[in-house]
Amino acid sequence: MNRVLTLAAYNIKLLLSERNWFFLIWALFALQITIFGSLMSRLVSGKVEDYLFFYSIGLMVITVFDSGASVGRNFVEHAHEGELPYYLSLPISRRGFLAAQALYGVADTMLKTLPPLLGILFFMGRLTVLGAFFAVLALLLLGLGISGIMISMSFIAFKSVDIYSAFIAGLSALLVRFSTVFYPLIFMPNFYSPISLLSPLTYGADLARWFLGFDPQLLLNPILAAAVVTAVAVGTLSLSARIVDRIIEGVKVG
Amino acid sequence: METLNLSKKYGKTDALRGLNFEVEEGEIMVILGPNGSGKTTLLMILCTILKPTSGIAKVVGIDVAKEGTKVREVMGIAFQEARGFWRHKPSSILRFHASMFDIDPTKRQDLIDQTMKDLELWESRDKLFMHLSGGQAKRLETAKVLVQRPKLAIFDEPTSQVDLRGKRKIWDKIKELRNQGSTIIVATNEVREAEYLADRVTILHQGQRVVCDTIPHLKDAIAGGDVVEVDFEDPVSARLSEELKSLGGSVALSPQGNQMRAMVSRAEDWVPKMTSASYNQGAKISSIKITEPSLDDVFMQFTGTTLEDKP
Repeated sequence: MNRVLTLAAYNIKLLLSERNWFFLIWALFALQITIFGSLMSRLVSGKVEDYLFFYSIGLMVITVFDSGASVGRNFVEHAHEGELPYYLSLPISRRGFLAAQALYGVADTMLKTLPPLLGILFFMGRLTVLGAFFAVLALLLLGLGISGIMISMSFIAFKSVDIYSAFIAGLSALLVRFSTVFYPLIFMPNFYSPISLLSPLTYGADLARWFLGFDPQLLLNPILAAAVVTAVAVGTLSLSARIVDRIIEGVKVG
Repeated sequence: METLNLSKKYGKTDALRGLNFEVEEGEIMVILGPNGSGKTTLLMILCTILKPTSGIAKVVGIDVAKEGTKVREVMGIAFQEARGFWRHKPSSILRFHASMFDIDPTKRQDLIDQTMKDLELWESRDKLFMHLSGGQAKRLETAKVLVQRPKLAIFDEPTSQVDLRGKRKIWDKIKELRNQGSTIIVATNEVREAEYLADRVTILHQGQRVVCDTIPHLKDAIAGGDVVEVDFEDPVSARLSEELKSLGGSVALSPQGNQMRAMVSRAEDWVPKMTSASYNQGAKISSIKITEPSLDDVFMQFTGTTLEDKP
């Protein structure tokens, strides 16, 4: 366990050196809420009470999604930049290696989402310790699930990075668009809502909103949402552990 | 360390074909072969990065395919391509590596500092990895293993891209590591490196072991024991060429026809016969050089190709 933490800490240390990048993400987040969020909340006013808050949490879920996806991308980049063979030669199990990657992903997600989330909750007068804690927990579980999906798909990159990039771009577009990140399920057209129920973002977004005190009538059942988010995290991480263990090799050499 | 009938396929390409190979405790085993002979594939399997297609490989009696984590506890590898960790500094990379292998924290920093000084990395200790030269990056690869001091140390072409002075330093440090108790495997296609380091040499060709022995035994195994290199003032006639070939040994003429290389059993018997035949045919000799066969000759003898040839 000590070695897993050492490996995770080594990567997180590098993450912390990218302060400017985080400031940029937070600034972009603030800009998106103050301009697009405000405009959209005027458009839908009357249908969804406090849409700006709904939108802000949706934007937070997208940030979590991006962060989770970046863990998968990092994994693939490690392979192609030559770091993966080195990691695979270290005295930790393949599952330990994956756990270190997951810890890195958690740190990445926390750094990107926690400051803006606390800022939103504070400025909108919805900041409670319990609500924030459980919302963050829901977002982290969602982030782990997304990381698991991306790492599970990384075996494609060992055949072709181009196919992997195209596949992930397509998958990301579908998971984000067909979800409740920006629109409550009950307002979606009939053809749209069943597809949205297939996206893990739907469950993560609605669960986080429920913990933060949003109108439950506009959200999915929180128990169902919690069960799905947990199942996706556990399922995809287990799958990615199997893939790392059995399929992925460090390099292809002559 | 041993392998039994070890094979590795990449699609339809056989990188290793039923390889049987063993390394004794405390020796430096050099694996000699041209690019593409399967050296790196073998090393990657030994350090559990690649999985064998079939066969068995054991390190300190532990099966690499079944108990990879245990194997990684006792081995260290300096990769052929020193890549990765672009935004870390050499000192930080070595500290991380030492902590992953539980090097005594009280001795860690001294060991790292000394290794960086020994390998002339001290001045570059605070540069980012991406700013190191190819030679410095290779030294850093070696430094990782020297700091780690594993039971089984693997070096994949440890001195490619390193200047001559640096090569000698790395070779001496590898020998020092062996003297401290490590078993060492070095893969290379450089004859000088093999001659300097090897207790035994395994020649690998097209994924198979061709021969394994000490360098003196390998040289003795060549037909004849001496190499005679003769320079003629003018190209040799076909008649003289035939006559020299009939004197015994293995005789090869240069394409220009004025240089000859012969591998013979006893140079002291062969050279007088050769000079006499040349005199009788009116061929003037400008120089004669008698040497021992090199590992290149050994490789040529056993595989029919040179180390520079493609497999």
